[in-house]
Amino acid sequence: MVSSVANARARLVAGSRGRLLNGTLFALIAIALVILATKVATNGPAYFIQIVVYGLANGSIFALIALGYTMVYGIVELINFAHGDVFTLGGFISLWLLPIFGVTEGGTVTGAGLILPLLAILVISMILCAVVNVTIERVAYRPLRHAPRLTPLITAVGMSFVLEGIMFLWRGPFNLHYPNVLPATSIELGGANGPAIGFKDVAVIVIAVVLMVALTLFVERTKLGKAMRATAQDRDAAELMGIDINRTIAATFFIGALLAGAGGMIFGLYYNTITFDQGFTAGLVAFTAAVFGGIGNIQGAALGGLVIGMIQSLSDGYFDTAWTQVLIFAILVLVLVFRPTGILGMRVPEK
Amino acid sequence: MQKRWLSMASVLTAIALVAAACGGGGTSGTTSTPGASGSGAAATTAAATTGEIIIASDLPTSGADASSGLPTQNGAAFALSQTTSYKGIKFTFKPFDDTVNGVHDPQKGAQNVQQMLSDPKVVAMVGPFNSNVARAEIPIANQGQLAMMSPSNTNECLTQTFPYCDPQPAALRPTGKNNYFRIAAPDTVQGPAMADYILNTLKLTKVAVFSDNETFGKGVADNFVKRLTAKGGTLTNRSDFDWKTTNDFKPFINDAKAKGAQVIYAGATSATKACIVRSQMTGILDVPFTGPDGIGDDQCLKDSGSNTANMYFTNAAGDAGQNPDAASTVAAFKQAYPKASDLGAYTFPAYDCAFILIDAVKRAIDAAGGKVPTRQQVIDAVQSTSGLKGTVGTYAFDANGDPKSATMAFWASKGTPAAWVFQSQFSVGQ
Repeated sequence: MVSSVANARARLVAGSRGRLLNGTLFALIAIALVILATKVATNGPAYFIQIVVYGLANGSIFALIALGYTMVYGIVELINFAHGDVFTLGGFISLWLLPIFGVTEGGTVTGAGLILPLLAILVISMILCAVVNVTIERVAYRPLRHAPRLTPLITAVGMSFVLEGIMFLWRGPFNLHYPNVLPATSIELGGANGPAIGFKDVAVIVIAVVLMVALTLFVERTKLGKAMRATAQDRDAAELMGIDINRTIAATFFIGALLAGAGGMIFGLYYNTITFDQGFTAGLVAFTAAVFGGIGNIQGAALGGLVIGMIQSLSDGYFDTAWTQVLIFAILVLVLVFRPTGILGMRVPEK
Repeated sequence: MQKRWLSMASVLTAIALVAAACGGGGTSGTTSTPGASGSGAAATTAAATTGEIIIASDLPTSGADASSGLPTQNGAAFALSQTTSYKGIKFTFKPFDDTVNGVHDPQKGAQNVQQMLSDPKVVAMVGPFNSNVARAEIPIANQGQLAMMSPSNTNECLTQTFPYCDPQPAALRPTGKNNYFRIAAPDTVQGPAMADYILNTLKLTKVAVFSDNETFGKGVADNFVKRLTAKGGTLTNRSDFDWKTTNDFKPFINDAKAKGAQVIYAGATSATKACIVRSQMTGILDVPFTGPDGIGDDQCLKDSGSNTANMYFTNAAGDAGQNPDAASTVAAFKQAYPKASDLGAYTFPAYDCAFILIDAVKRAIDAAGGKVPTRQQVIDAVQSTSGLKGTVGTYAFDANGDPKSATMAFWASKGTPAAWVFQSQFSVGQ
């Protein structure tokens, strides 16, 4: 009796502290929105449209990474911390392949001639990343499938460091320059001072959307996709129905890494810089995007990625880069407090 | 018989050594001021028996920073290869690397200085390269009376007292005596010099400024902006990036474009992504790109990709190629270090740093009667340097450790493939 009163009091105190925190976060975001509105008004619509375009491109890349997190979590309830580094690996592999396929900055291969080699490099990078990710699953996660939850989490962190270490040894600690090979042409809306939608922005968004649509179709229309959904819902029942669980889980890691590998190459082409440890931050932000949209939910991860990319660009463009992470994570906390399952809802098995 | 005599002698020597060591420790233990005489005498005794002094260097010589750190180390190493001994005392060069994961690191620098102090033969050091490393090293070297001579530190707060300095220079020198010297012009000169160059030579007025938010980058950007606005230029927009997590510089570039910027000024270095910004400007904003000495290396040209035209940087030291008296030294260096990447903007300034230290150590040896001098004697000798002609300047130091006159040079990227080309230089009196 006494203890339950004490518990209730503790809960009350915690609750009021929570409300205070939420109030502060709400106030922070409200202030940010007001400042944003005034800044958007003073800087004019052209700049705003420009920032939104960058936000979409940013968000597409985050969405590509977030999909891998969400798919893996949906099926084995594991946060694959190595996923962010698989994304970086995609950038490193494609950077290594570019000169092999004769694509160099200011080189002879330009214009339409670029399409074929770049597509080939994209496909090879994606497949190599996928193979690495499946290997990681086989070596570090599958033997631990029935171990306590914490164990595969720790091996995931370990694999993340292993991948970072390999990339560090391979290309060193520099900010590597990623060749700026995509054409710099842009469509200028409303004259020279209007917003310019660059070829790069469009390319990034188009590739990401195509990959995401393909993924959705795959999961909803194919037999393997059905097997994935079944495994995510109830692993034991799926196994009883004759689904090869190991193969299905491996396929999930494979597809997640395909998207991350593509994301790595697109990141390099878009920002022209790549560092061995960029997957750490990018991975955390993408994981946030996945949680934001509802972990386990594919459409949710895509939406979450786009929203977070947009927040990042608006914050970078109108405030200061120092505020970006604060805003992203403040919004995350609020979303989780009021919708613990994310915007579109979690898609996890009901037990 | 002879054998016994030898063993007795060795026992006696051992006893003498132990006594000397205890005596030194005891003296410094009882003196309240940290061993101006006590530990210094002990160091002399220990070093005199070997007859060797070491001039160390602390520079970032691996990873991203190696592109500027290694050529600098080459300069110091070359100077010491020219002077190997004086009055029977051997001169040795011992380089240290202050990078961690390929980026200069203040803690690593501080550890290196500790290591130098633990070796009584080390009497002076060339370096460090980066101002934030200097900030960590000066207090430690100061307590060990180790003379520091930097070819490239430019942060004004290392030597001069300004209200905005944190920490103040006095706080970096716990003993109250100066041990830190440099030959580069401080940022109070470097930032404004580029502002003048933009206004007077490039004839442009609207500038967008960004920085990497580090001691050096932010400081030089602040000084740039102060001079620019004072001389009638306009600051269109400014961002201080967290360079480790920021990869998207396009919002900043677009902001600059929307506000009509005619030039970008980078308060950053090529190791902190300065020239990634140049690359991302491609197709959005085609205006000149300017920065401090931190962008004047190969890494920057590589990072800029195909967008290398119209880039300018200030170098806080002169160009040895402009000094006819240095021609033979330059030629000898090129013979010893034939690769193009062996030579950087701070190679000959570092050569001069080592040259000044060698000169000071020689005078200190003379003053000590041909014996190995104490560290404090070396500091005093550096302080009294006057009219010493090096390859890129003539040296004398004020009480803060700043050069009495320094040279500021302008370089621009030219040609395909792009290379940095010397434009002009001028002298600045302090």
